[in-house]
Amino acid sequence: MSLLQYLSVTALLFGAGLYGLLQRRNLVAMLIALELMLASVSIAVMALTTYAGGDTSVGLVVALIIAGVAAAETAIALSLFVVIQRSTHSIDVEQLSELKG
Amino acid sequence: MTWGSAVFVVSTVTALLGALAAVGMRNIFHNILGFAVAMLGVSGLFLTLGADFLAFVFILVYVGAVAIAMVYAVMLSQPLDQPPRPRSRLKILGSALVAGTGGFTIWELLRFAPWKAPGPPLRDSASAAGFRFLSDYVLAFELISVLLVVAMMGAVMIARRRPPAEGR
Repeated sequence: MSLLQYLSVTALLFGAGLYGLLQRRNLVAMLIALELMLASVSIAVMALTTYAGGDTSVGLVVALIIAGVAAAETAIALSLFVVIQRSTHSIDVEQLSELKG
Repeated sequence: MTWGSAVFVVSTVTALLGALAAVGMRNIFHNILGFAVAMLGVSGLFLTLGADFLAFVFILVYVGAVAIAMVYAVMLSQPLDQPPRPRSRLKILGSALVAGTGGFTIWELLRFAPWKAPGPPLRDSASAAGFRFLSDYVLAFELISVLLVVAMMGAVMIARRRPPAEGR
């Protein structure tokens, strides 16, 4: 396998996640798309540290930090979804127009 | 074809098909299951990179995430027996355009960068990461633990149902 193959997979996964984040209306589905993008970045970091020489365990550390930040972000996002559902009775982003002028 | 490249091909196909199901299908349950499949593929890619510890962490963490996401989808989404509102074609086209351009730009940027030969494969990756975390990256390690505590407490505070008399 070459580095370019890994990076192509990364770009495709990132593109799929970006598409989902822009196109879906359900907030849980948007969160899933966001997690896909984070996972693709983790693959890129691992592949780059493996193929660019140097110490490969640094890539592992960075990928684990990304996973930790993603976990914290998911916890906050899900609690926000509960509050949004309580106030608007839906988790459809197109219904969230209270701040629209 | 060697074992490594066979695992790479299978993992890539699994990850991409799972990602397509995770963003493309209409039913939120199919999305969540597709996400789980995609994460299995991603773990396979980590295995081919020699990061076996990271692969198992991803499976463990995201199996938990999938279970939680399912509970939330059941609690919060609109019932599946109601007819969904039609999707806006303009939004689909615009999203596909932006995502395609973004992915292609990333690929083009990465394609022409000069890369060195692959380094030695990672051996005993769990102990390597543990050593790094408690020596050079100890600040990041501690900050992650603080961040997780703050996020958990913040999540509880945000989602708490306030009694009406107390107000803000």
